[in-house]
Amino acid sequence: MLNRRNLLQSAAMGAGAAFCSSLSLNIAKAAAAPQSSPKRIIFFLQNQGFDPATCVPAGLKSSASLADVTLPEPISPLEPHKHKIHIINGLHGRHTSPSHSAYFGALGGYRGGIGVAASAETIDHVVSQRLPETILPHLCIGMDALENMVSRPTLATLSATGAGQPIFMHSNPNDLYQMLFGGIATGDVKRRFEARSKVLRQVERLASNGGKTLPERDRDLYRSYVDGFREMNGLRQRLGEVSDHLQKFAPVYGDKFLKPKFETDWHDSLLDIGIAALQAGLTNTLTIGSGRGEIFGSWKGLGVVEAGHNLGHMEQPDNPIWIKIRQYNCQMLVKLMESLEAMPEGNGTMMDNTLIVYTSNNADKQHTGGANWPFILLGNCGGRLKTGQFTQLDGKRPINALYTTLLHAIAAPRDRFNMDDSAARTLDPKVGPIEELFA
Amino acid sequence: MTKTLARLACWLIWTAMIAAVHAEDAIHSPSFAQTFVQKYCIDCHGADTPEADLALHELTSVEADNAQLWQTVWEQVALKQMPPTYESNQPSVMERLQLSNWITSNLERALQDQGGFQTHLVPAKGNHLDHELLFGPLPAGLEPTSTPARIWRIHPQEHLTRLNELINREPDFNPQRPGLRTRGDQIGPNEDGEIKVYYGLDRVIGWVGGTAAYAAAITGFPPMLSTDDHHGLRNYPILYSVNGAEAVQIAGNAEDILHFMAYGPNAEPYQFADKVSQIDRKYKHESLRGLSQSLFYGKSVKRPLTPVYDLMHEPGVSDEKLTAAVNYLFESLTLRPPTEQETATYVDLARQSIADLGKEEGAILGLTPIFLDRDALFRPELAEEGTPDQYGRVMLQGHELALAVNAAFCYIAPDKSLTQAVKEGRLQTREDVEREVERILQDDTIRKPRVLQFFREYFDYDRAGYICKDTRALITAGGDNKAQAYYRTMFGMTANTDRLIELILQEDKQVLYELLTTDRVVYDANQDKRYFGEFVGKAKSRSKTIEKAPATAPKKKAPALPNTIRAAQLPPGDPIHVRIAQVITPVKTERSLTTLPAEQRMGILTHPSWLVSHSDAMDNHAILRGRWIRERLLGGAVPDVPITVNAMLPVEPRETLRHRMRVTREEYCWKCHQKMDPLGLPFEMFNHIGLYRTQDHDKPVDATGEIIDSGEPSLDGPVDNALDMIRKLAESERVKQVFVRHAFRFWIGRNETINDAPVLQDAYRAYEESEGSMNALLTSLLTSDAFLYRHVDRP
Repeated sequence: MLNRRNLLQSAAMGAGAAFCSSLSLNIAKAAAAPQSSPKRIIFFLQNQGFDPATCVPAGLKSSASLADVTLPEPISPLEPHKHKIHIINGLHGRHTSPSHSAYFGALGGYRGGIGVAASAETIDHVVSQRLPETILPHLCIGMDALENMVSRPTLATLSATGAGQPIFMHSNPNDLYQMLFGGIATGDVKRRFEARSKVLRQVERLASNGGKTLPERDRDLYRSYVDGFREMNGLRQRLGEVSDHLQKFAPVYGDKFLKPKFETDWHDSLLDIGIAALQAGLTNTLTIGSGRGEIFGSWKGLGVVEAGHNLGHMEQPDNPIWIKIRQYNCQMLVKLMESLEAMPEGNGTMMDNTLIVYTSNNADKQHTGGANWPFILLGNCGGRLKTGQFTQLDGKRPINALYTTLLHAIAAPRDRFNMDDSAARTLDPKVGPIEELFA
Repeated sequence: MTKTLARLACWLIWTAMIAAVHAEDAIHSPSFAQTFVQKYCIDCHGADTPEADLALHELTSVEADNAQLWQTVWEQVALKQMPPTYESNQPSVMERLQLSNWITSNLERALQDQGGFQTHLVPAKGNHLDHELLFGPLPAGLEPTSTPARIWRIHPQEHLTRLNELINREPDFNPQRPGLRTRGDQIGPNEDGEIKVYYGLDRVIGWVGGTAAYAAAITGFPPMLSTDDHHGLRNYPILYSVNGAEAVQIAGNAEDILHFMAYGPNAEPYQFADKVSQIDRKYKHESLRGLSQSLFYGKSVKRPLTPVYDLMHEPGVSDEKLTAAVNYLFESLTLRPPTEQETATYVDLARQSIADLGKEEGAILGLTPIFLDRDALFRPELAEEGTPDQYGRVMLQGHELALAVNAAFCYIAPDKSLTQAVKEGRLQTREDVEREVERILQDDTIRKPRVLQFFREYFDYDRAGYICKDTRALITAGGDNKAQAYYRTMFGMTANTDRLIELILQEDKQVLYELLTTDRVVYDANQDKRYFGEFVGKAKSRSKTIEKAPATAPKKKAPALPNTIRAAQLPPGDPIHVRIAQVITPVKTERSLTTLPAEQRMGILTHPSWLVSHSDAMDNHAILRGRWIRERLLGGAVPDVPITVNAMLPVEPRETLRHRMRVTREEYCWKCHQKMDPLGLPFEMFNHIGLYRTQDHDKPVDATGEIIDSGEPSLDGPVDNALDMIRKLAESERVKQVFVRHAFRFWIGRNETINDAPVLQDAYRAYEESEGSMNALLTSLLTSDAFLYRHVDRP
């Protein structure tokens, strides 16, 4: 198997000359450059598509530095930070059926669809398992219309630990705050937190007893029920153990949480919790689903009166509605970057060891075939990835190749991600990461 | 082929099969698959002749690395895709079955540490077992069937209904108005497609603002358990557990439910009055619209007053009241009485919590664990008592048997007679079960939402309102200018189809034939006439957009691309009620049972609810429709789409769907698409929102199709249109047998095996001999070994 680790070993032994293609040179360079270690990746997916005309600087047809160009208006909040980003155009996701949304297929690189269960693990989960361990391995938050976040506070459409094993996004910031920061409260809130913890431990014990006499096949199925409580209790315990530490990072729990005027108040609150979880080292992977991977969504707080599915039927370029939504996304990205830059880590800041992956769960637009799927990477992942760059690919490599690249960047290399050789025959002409992306 | 020839072919198959049964040991040999591959595959897929770039000469054992390839081989062989039909050297059906079983059992082993393999066990793969094996002569030495001992996570509707029983009092069945919602009926979607249980809905007497504000203000909870959201049967026990996020939601809602049980609506005193006019004007300010404070409630209590109410309303906490509350909740949520130990455990838990937080908060928190009891979320069929017979089978007994029988029909607790039968030891034998099943079937006051759910999952007509339509495509096809009105009509039409099915079940004669061919329709003239009408074509001018303008026609804006439709004008029928959950004030409805024009429509496959359920945002979905016919009526199957296939039709808005589907005729695609496309294209006589049409893109509609390789040679051949095809299929013996197979899967909760052949044949016989009675079919299935016996692993 040709992978990054083998290549580096070969080079180290002086036996790699025959393999010194530009691919291996780039990878070797990435590994040899002074680097800190990647510690976290954030995935941010806006629904309804990411039109390339809203992110590719005007006039750019081929790969180039971003230094001498101006970013398009929808992503203009990133202009002061463009030396830290990498815009990628020309990946494809034809095999993911992204027409309305590829759902789990957007992060899985496989066929998705409404109501279609995940057919394998998604990249964010894989990354969370490979990065340095944290209390929460993976946190997913989902932003939607206020009423939807109330009526369906958890939803799983984007992330999965394996086939048919979805990971739920949290959409009610009050519930999520209680879950993560309830232990640092005092007085009655603390007393309630502890009483609830006691009850949940009893429930876990009872649930566990209920599985003892089950047939073998059912035991596996039932285990996931018991594991739900085990994880919940384990998490509460671990959070309780670090409550002093958490105190420093907990977001201000105020009216935006308790009395939201618009859905964007909760979007902001969820982002604040996500940032706090990253800063506190609670999680190494944050997945943000703006629109929750579905075909609806609402941004009335931005002055966008239209909501729901029709937003996806609008052309995005030069559309004031989509400029507002995209700029709002970008402001969130900037907030994420600046929050992590403010936190020292090693010889630099947390952002030095972080990568943010911004894209859509819906390729370039609604009713798309997925021939083009733009991405923006923010940060250099510990010095491994190129920044300040626009890369135009030839439309032949799938999004899976980018995910393979991410795995190489965090030193968990694979030849391919969620794609076997027979599928690759028509979907990906190359093996391994996308060499153009490495620093 | 004549009947004699068919019988001869059948005899030859079975002779080979019985011989194969005796050679069963051979299939466990590691070389079994290799021998099969050598004999039937290697000529075309050998090292030197890898057709389709596929070489099988080195394929021996099943390993994780080659699992995907073996899965492909399994599907190709099981579905008779390979060897190609033109090859004279064909394996027998029994050889195919043996290889299938060898591959799937080895895939289970090989993938054990990688998430497992159970693809062959999911409902969509049920037809991979050859139909002839199940309905042909029974092989000698077939062991009697049973179903593995198991737990079955309850259906989300069942869970929702149990919770609803705690907080709402529903009306009893009224034989004078049989279509109205009754205690025990499923909780259907409201006219916007949302399924929810609401707090105090029956007590609301007014609110501030319009209907949207009301919908926003009233609180409730949606289903907390999930199911796969795909076409077809989807409630097998192997598919579902309860994940952590669902448990969190259940716990959270449990506290709200307990609070409501104790105190009623969470509202200020000023919100309660006998009449809205008695409420001070200052509480009716516009700024309150959409908030819970904007609702006004009647003074009289409507919710059930239960031992939870008694507990919370007496001072202090007595053992008697706490125990009563625990027992009441336990029985309501698990549908069986608690053991003494279970009562003691939950009482202790509640006491601890009360000690920590005081009575009000502590009791509510302390009672929530009952909502998370295993048996409140999973129905056990463990057969833990009784001695296994020589085949390792034990018949279900006691509460497990009663709950299994009850769950075959109902979402709420067993009725008193069934409970009494358990108590008095009158539910122990097959005959006892038969007596109870027949009694329940005859009693209309016992609501049977599970039976309706079967038809929803079998026909898949209940998805119409959830199919997102492109606004322009909707208007162009003759739909309502206002998308919301269109979706509401579709949800209404789903409820109409529910009701039509109930009427046909009530008659209980030739049920499947009637469903496929009836000219009757439950019809709301106000909303439905556009969609049961005819699409005529593009209008000459905007003034002639609609020949017979329906009530919902646009008044201000004309559609971007005007079209003419001819609204349906059906004969006046008898008034009829349907069940549709309503939160907001409904639009005026005028439902009746009437008839459809015979030259345009026949049976529910030609109703917009089914047609739209099998369409996409822009157009008809002939592949999905054809697949439905292939799987649900003909008992065939189509292998999973290879990942290498770019399954997109060309985007050519000016071309007909038939023309765009030319790409599926490429040799590589056609192997599978010939099983679907010719069965789906006859529905081109309707457009994608269900309107009948004779013109398509300014050309006469081509609705021809063909039944290919159906398994019943007399069915095969060209068809003129959907009506011609449905007429042929409705008469088919095979189609009825396939219907029985689906009923088996739904009620037994697993795919059939060859050991179930006697059960299926008995059920089919019961259906036939009773002139197509669903009740007879159900009685046969529910008294079969497959339903009654569980296979256990103890000595």
